[in-house]
Amino acid sequence: MKTLVLCLGNDLIADDAVGIAAARQLRDRVGDLADVEESAVSGAALLEIFLDYERAVIVDAIHTHRHPPGTILKLRPGDLGQVAAPSPHYAGLPELIVMAEQMELSFPKEIVIFAMEIEDSLTIGGEMTAPIRQALPQLVEQVVDQLKQWEADFSGV
Amino acid sequence: MSRREIVIDPITRLEGHGKIDIFLNDQGDVDKAYFQVPELRGFEKFAQGRPVEDMPQITSRICGVCPMAHHMAASKALDDVYKVTPPPAASKVRELLYNIFMIEDHALHFYFLGGPDFVVGPQAPKEQRNIVGVIGKVGVEAGKKVIGLRKKMRDLMRLTAGKAIHPVFGLPGGVSKGITKEEQKQYIESANEAVEFGKFSLDLFNKVVLQNSEYVDAITSDAYTHKTYYMGLVDENNKSNFYDGKLRVVDPDGKEYVKFAANEYLDHVAEHVEPWSYIKFCYLKQIGWTGFEEGPDSGVFAVAPLARLNAADGMAAPLAQEAYEQFFQTLGGKPVHHTLATHWARLVEMLYAAERMKELAEDDEITDPKVHAIPTEIPSEGFGVVEAPRGTLFHHYQTDERGLVTMANLIVATQNNAARIAMSVDKAAKGLIKKGEVNDGLLNMVEMAFRAYDPCNGCATHALPGQMPLLVQIYDPDKNVVSRIKRN
Repeated sequence: MKTLVLCLGNDLIADDAVGIAAARQLRDRVGDLADVEESAVSGAALLEIFLDYERAVIVDAIHTHRHPPGTILKLRPGDLGQVAAPSPHYAGLPELIVMAEQMELSFPKEIVIFAMEIEDSLTIGGEMTAPIRQALPQLVEQVVDQLKQWEADFSGV
Repeated sequence: MSRREIVIDPITRLEGHGKIDIFLNDQGDVDKAYFQVPELRGFEKFAQGRPVEDMPQITSRICGVCPMAHHMAASKALDDVYKVTPPPAASKVRELLYNIFMIEDHALHFYFLGGPDFVVGPQAPKEQRNIVGVIGKVGVEAGKKVIGLRKKMRDLMRLTAGKAIHPVFGLPGGVSKGITKEEQKQYIESANEAVEFGKFSLDLFNKVVLQNSEYVDAITSDAYTHKTYYMGLVDENNKSNFYDGKLRVVDPDGKEYVKFAANEYLDHVAEHVEPWSYIKFCYLKQIGWTGFEEGPDSGVFAVAPLARLNAADGMAAPLAQEAYEQFFQTLGGKPVHHTLATHWARLVEMLYAAERMKELAEDDEITDPKVHAIPTEIPSEGFGVVEAPRGTLFHHYQTDERGLVTMANLIVATQNNAARIAMSVDKAAKGLIKKGEVNDGLLNMVEMAFRAYDPCNGCATHALPGQMPLLVQIYDPDKNVVSRIKRN
């Protein structure tokens, strides 16, 4: 089973770097379990990255003010709202999935999202804040655990 | 201050995206409506003290939407900082890659962005007015064509610019890698496909949009019309160019108002600050800021595809020139003030970019290995300008004698367009809110204007692949929030 770990973020922008920081640690950890990619692009431009993978983990920052910074949320695409995006920059994952289905593209059948609540998403050159730095190892562990779980499930079949 | 409160959708990662504030007067009618974007903090401080050669990489990585535009504006500013002229092949390689980027970006936008309003139709149920609806209407094959073409363009960018998304080839005085004769064949082959794709797209627009009077009525409706100035880069013949030339501004009657070089931008473009917004509103300095007003006495101007066609005398490529002429004939002559015509203008530009790509790819000088002139001057100050897909983009740097940045300023397309965007939002709100009652169509109306400009929101980063809701907040005369409307 071909598996993608897609880490989103921008290492020049404060806590938004968390996905990229995770990617750099994950590369040493996941071995043959998955391909680890990092990207700072948005929306519909992400479509191509997913093609030809069967499973995908997405790692990203999220800024809701509803959880303490450093909180890790595990989401499925169904948890994300239906889309009426005003721009393809903000096209949603559910929308990409439907597009891929309509165009009969090879898109991952199973997707898990690990999103970390962050504190500062707007300061260029800012360091990651302390709660984010502290929670980063746990984020990496959760991704590795997910990949191992998938591998075990697949081997067990 | 209640008006600073922001409701964040659980899947929106950057606060403030697409936030619209509407202020009511004592009668409950709209006093003013404002579109807001977040602004990234600390760019200037971050840039200070860094080698100026890093700017093409830094600025392109800050922007997750049009990194090639920042990379190219920065590379051109570096030429100016070191007062070095790239060899002819280097300029051609840069322009070739830049046009490839424009094709890729415009294709994405027309099919996935303009589509909701035109391909699917302005009257279609809102559930269908999204990317998925577009694929449903244009068909799976057209969708596959878009994906296939974008892949080819990205492969070429990876080949020469180093990376498809974040190019790394721009240097002061040229580029780090040229194009071999073998690679030239690949460029020519893909350019031919791009030209065919450009023709196919305009043909589709003709069939789906122009032969439907409802759609044409929507484009020309007063709700989306503003008589402003327009700015765009032009070559020595006043033909549109994305990579180089002078900035030409035409007045609301379409007559040339001024033409200037990038290093004169401070004489012509100024920024107005409003207390309610993070964004700085650009206006024409010599005319002045008179508020969010139309007409020749207001310095408000527009950039982006529609503005570029208005600001130029034509397109420097035969098929695009034909399309340009049809555009103005159909819409009643120059200039066209209908914001929604931007989607059509984008297709005219995509065909031009494809034809220009072919012309440059077939030029044998492009395989000349001399693609870098070594800078020898002491660095000082430089300006760079390009036409980003969303409009004119300025970079301006000052350095010390070692080439370390002491000042960096970027003016992005969304700032250039900000006043006109605010006017469109204001017009939609005034038409739809009466005596405190909010019409349900407000979001759709505002979204259609929003989509045409495609503001890139302060060069913010990507969004978690969830949706970006528009948030509308309505305030009473005492600035208390009385209502919030959110998509979904």
